[in-house]
Amino acid sequence: MECSFGITGKDYVLLASDMSAGRSILQFKSDENKIKELGPHLAMAYGGEPGDTNNFADYIERNMRLYHIRHHHALLPHAASSWIRRSLADSIRSRRPYSVNLLLAGFDTTDDTPHLYWIDYLGTKAVVPYAAHGMGMHVSLSTMDKYWHPNQDRRDGVDVLKKAIAEAQHRLSIKFTFNAIIIDKDGIHTVDLAAEDPIGKIEAEKAAKAEAEAAAAAAAAAPPAAAPEASAPVAAAA
Amino acid sequence: MALFAASAQQEAVAAPIQHRFDPYEDNGGTILSIAGADFSVIAGDTRQSQGYNIQTRYARKVWQLTDKVVLATNGFAADGANFVKKVKQRLEWYENAHQKQMSIKSIARMIQTMLYAKRFFPYYVYNILGGIEEDGTGAVYSFDPVGSYEREACRAAGAAQSLIQPFLDNQIYFRNQTFPADQPKPIPGNLPLGTVLGLVIDSFTSATERHIEVGDGLEMYVVMAKGRAVDDLTSKGALPEGVVVEELGPLGEGGGERTFLVRRTLKRD
Amino acid sequence: MSIQEYNGGSVVAMVGKDCVAIACDLRLGNQATGIAMNFEKVFPVNDTLYYGLPGLATDVYTLREQLRFRVNMYRMKEEREITPETFTHLLSSTLYEKRFGPYFLEPVIAGIAPPTAANPNPQPYVSTLDSIGCITTPKDFAVAGTATDKLYGAAEGLWEPDLEPEDLFETISQTLLNAVDRDALSGWGAIVHVITKDKVITRTLRSRMD
Repeated sequence: MECSFGITGKDYVLLASDMSAGRSILQFKSDENKIKELGPHLAMAYGGEPGDTNNFADYIERNMRLYHIRHHHALLPHAASSWIRRSLADSIRSRRPYSVNLLLAGFDTTDDTPHLYWIDYLGTKAVVPYAAHGMGMHVSLSTMDKYWHPNQDRRDGVDVLKKAIAEAQHRLSIKFTFNAIIIDKDGIHTVDLAAEDPIGKIEAEKAAKAEAEAAAAAAAAAPPAAAPEASAPVAAAA
Repeated sequence: MALFAASAQQEAVAAPIQHRFDPYEDNGGTILSIAGADFSVIAGDTRQSQGYNIQTRYARKVWQLTDKVVLATNGFAADGANFVKKVKQRLEWYENAHQKQMSIKSIARMIQTMLYAKRFFPYYVYNILGGIEEDGTGAVYSFDPVGSYEREACRAAGAAQSLIQPFLDNQIYFRNQTFPADQPKPIPGNLPLGTVLGLVIDSFTSATERHIEVGDGLEMYVVMAKGRAVDDLTSKGALPEGVVVEELGPLGEGGGERTFLVRRTLKRD
Repeated sequence: MSIQEYNGGSVVAMVGKDCVAIACDLRLGNQATGIAMNFEKVFPVNDTLYYGLPGLATDVYTLREQLRFRVNMYRMKEEREITPETFTHLLSSTLYEKRFGPYFLEPVIAGIAPPTAANPNPQPYVSTLDSIGCITTPKDFAVAGTATDKLYGAAEGLWEPDLEPEDLFETISQTLLNAVDRDALSGWGAIVHVITKDKVITRTLRSRMD
């Protein structure tokens, strides 16, 4: 009983996955992270046969990293989707195929567009504005059909995601906890779904980070010989 | 060890032989009915097959029930023939009891109860009932094997249903057709007789081209409302070449409705 | 449900007077669940040759990539564009390579060869293949996909010889839309390409979304 969602918006893409791990009726774990970061602006939510999932996700992650190192830039979402799809398509006709389904989300920094791909274990790829895998496909796609609209802002996107998750929690007999990320031009950020205003929280974090970076840059721009005692008069002057 | 092997072998031989009672057959063929404003056309091909074998090139699938009602049956021919026999018997009892023929909507409801009565050993038959309603309009009622039914403007059933029904959706219900703003979308079920017969013939010749179970002959029953002129059917040149018309006399006293049987050949390959 | 019907989808191609048309629906499904409504199944080879791949979606991508590679190799080696007839045979042998583990696709090809000295007046061409590459070259139209039988009925009823491009567009559009409206696994939009000697007209059709 797995469940993952992806939602695109004007300048971002959201990815959410349940955090349960188990077999048949038993739940072994409720804090398993099934979203993997594949690059500065690329991530996937994956599910399927336990064992295959982590092995395949690691394989993809390492190859994406290898490409980044060799070429000094990461694969763009579209190229990554093609490569991942091909890996699964080759796998399905091999002696021991991977049973892994995934949602690939990325942000194309060359033209500032969000991308979302629905990919299944056969190597089927769909380019979609919003998607679900697992039980979410059966219970929450219609919720997203109703509330999603093109070019919605981040808060609206998170609202749609919350509605989709609420529907899954409402309709399915297993209790789910979800983790989520958002990818935008600045990279990948964790979305705290329990927070009052998850987007506000991310923006505050971004602002704090930017402030810290500006301070560091200012410190770096200060006289190179600046030693602890040399900086004391500057502080005093301020 | 040898003893064990022998007993194991016996086990395999002693596996129970199961027989399944399957008294059904699919005899192919296709039926089709279209309603007009004051007429109804009920048609069927005449091929009867069993797998790749043609049992006969002329087997009836369309039956005149009353002076204004015709029934087409498709599916398992034996069930169809027996079902029609029982319907006719019930209609005869009704006529003796009430001194009049049963109306089409009553026949439709009766067919529902007769089919549902055999819900757990159904007649493997798809029925289409066509004729004239008591208000004089053309009517088509279609049924599934267990009696679910509805009144429609047209319906195809049988082997080539999947070929013909999309064509009818387009030509009878005007689906996916757009009309200029000053010309409203026509109401289905009001096409002239010549157009309807043309569509029926096209449907069956198309189905004959692409479906092996359809062909040999085409029988189209045309039921005309009381007082309707019939020259668009009987006048010289009204119908295409090779189409033969024959009027069927009234079964009862005759209430003014007229039934014609229009025949045509279909390809035999 | 068979593997060829796993994702749903249909393609139809028709011959006209000095033109051909090829069209497909836009649905991508996971059995009965609809996933995407932008999944095109018809692709260009060059300005006068298109092909459609209805069937298993993973094989649609894989075969399309394989064909792009082989057509590019042909173009570089031969220094000319591939003709519809040659492309059909290229596709046939590509499919037959996988004779005992086939791609689950039923390709449809439509095009008009560019005029050459050997063939100054090429005729409109439509062909279709089964999943292991057996070629059929109809004179009128070719259909494939989950709405095959509905397409046959509609096309047989609506198509006529020597249609002009605009009439052929109307005929193939009505054939496809009315057929996919009766098929649960096809629909969700449609796209039509009408190929003439000097241009291709591509139109996206609105359709029932249920």
